[in-house]
Amino acid sequence: MIKFHPNKQMLAAFSAGELPLSLSIAMSAHIELCDECAAKAVKIEAQLSHDTWQDTVLEEANFGDMLQAIMSNEPTPVDKIAIKPKTVTQVGGNNYQLPTAFSNFNCLKWSGFGPVSRARVISDEQHVRASLLYIAAQGKIPEHHHKGYELTLLLEGSFEDEMGTYQKGDFIWIDGELNHSPYTEKGCLCYAVQNAPLHFVRGMSKVLNPLGNLIY
Amino acid sequence: MIKLIPKAMGNVLNSHNINLLDKEQQEINDWLDDVSTHQDKVAFSQLFKFFAPRIRSHGLKKFGQEAVAMELVQETMMLVWRKAHQFDPNKGKGSTWIYTIMRNYSFDMLRKIKSNKEDLMSEDLWPSIDVEDDQEEDDHLQTKNILSHIGKLPALQRQVVEQIYINDKTQQELANELAVPLGTIKSRLRLAMSKLRDMMEKEHD
Repeated sequence: MIKFHPNKQMLAAFSAGELPLSLSIAMSAHIELCDECAAKAVKIEAQLSHDTWQDTVLEEANFGDMLQAIMSNEPTPVDKIAIKPKTVTQVGGNNYQLPTAFSNFNCLKWSGFGPVSRARVISDEQHVRASLLYIAAQGKIPEHHHKGYELTLLLEGSFEDEMGTYQKGDFIWIDGELNHSPYTEKGCLCYAVQNAPLHFVRGMSKVLNPLGNLIY
Repeated sequence: MIKLIPKAMGNVLNSHNINLLDKEQQEINDWLDDVSTHQDKVAFSQLFKFFAPRIRSHGLKKFGQEAVAMELVQETMMLVWRKAHQFDPNKGKGSTWIYTIMRNYSFDMLRKIKSNKEDLMSEDLWPSIDVEDDQEEDDHLQTKNILSHIGKLPALQRQVVEQIYINDKTQQELANELAVPLGTIKSRLRLAMSKLRDMMEKEHD
């Protein structure tokens, strides 16, 4: 049972197409896993549509021959709609089928440090990094905090931290200076988005730098 | 967090009730139905008359450029024309369906402007088609067939298809390389796609 959901502002920003790709992927994947948020998104889309088309102060505009040009095209045949297969990725000896939002990412490259493996998903947004993280059974990430936000979407398995236990589909948003140290008993696969590097809170931080760089 | 939320969204967050189909909404659904069943040009002209200025106005607010706003009108209305049969009135209003088409196209446009990426992610973020089980095998066969048909296209069209779908170039890169306007690439691609479709349909008959 999914207990952690994106808030209404995030749902609205996603439905309006205003979130960057990194967070849009997380929203889309959560909605695929969560019927409750899928239903909310449908309502929000209807509302956004209503508000957008309500625009009554419209300028005169000259569309030239656009209408005729469009109607000279043939419609797309009903049975020729291509459906992309979902991406399957192999890590920690398992094959995982990823949500539809990851369909374009079919050559993920995994690299590892200790119990943690990472595959980069997005690194072209300013300061934002988005990755798939796999943490092997009994793996622990040392206590750390983030200067910015950290979004974790749990795709498989479960993990826990100081705030609770998380299950498949949970959408965990941490904003600001909160410290936590996630631990997974049986292993888990997550999608993580961060907009600033991790800071390890307790000693030995130099030793942990490679881990910090890997996770960010 | 706050920075992520665009302005003018307060309305949505107060979620007032959405009315059932009023006269205007019913008209839009009927027009879409006419376009879907018999490519009715009068009905499509009505849709265009209603939506084109509204899409343009939305595009101007969002992108601040006339040319970009016009591209949004052109591509959204083109998709409405070509995909009208995908609209399912049981799943919501026609106007909402058109909104999602515009939203998807503008997401991809924004990504192109900001990151220079033409990866068309919106289809995966907002998948609209219910997947059927036997589709995957068909897809595989189709890929093989398509490759054999590409060779039969006229040279200019074949070049565009090969460079974009096989060598992963963006439309803009190709336009620069060939020193032709982006629109030319787009129209060659569109022609090529419709020819490929014809070839494959003949094969199926």
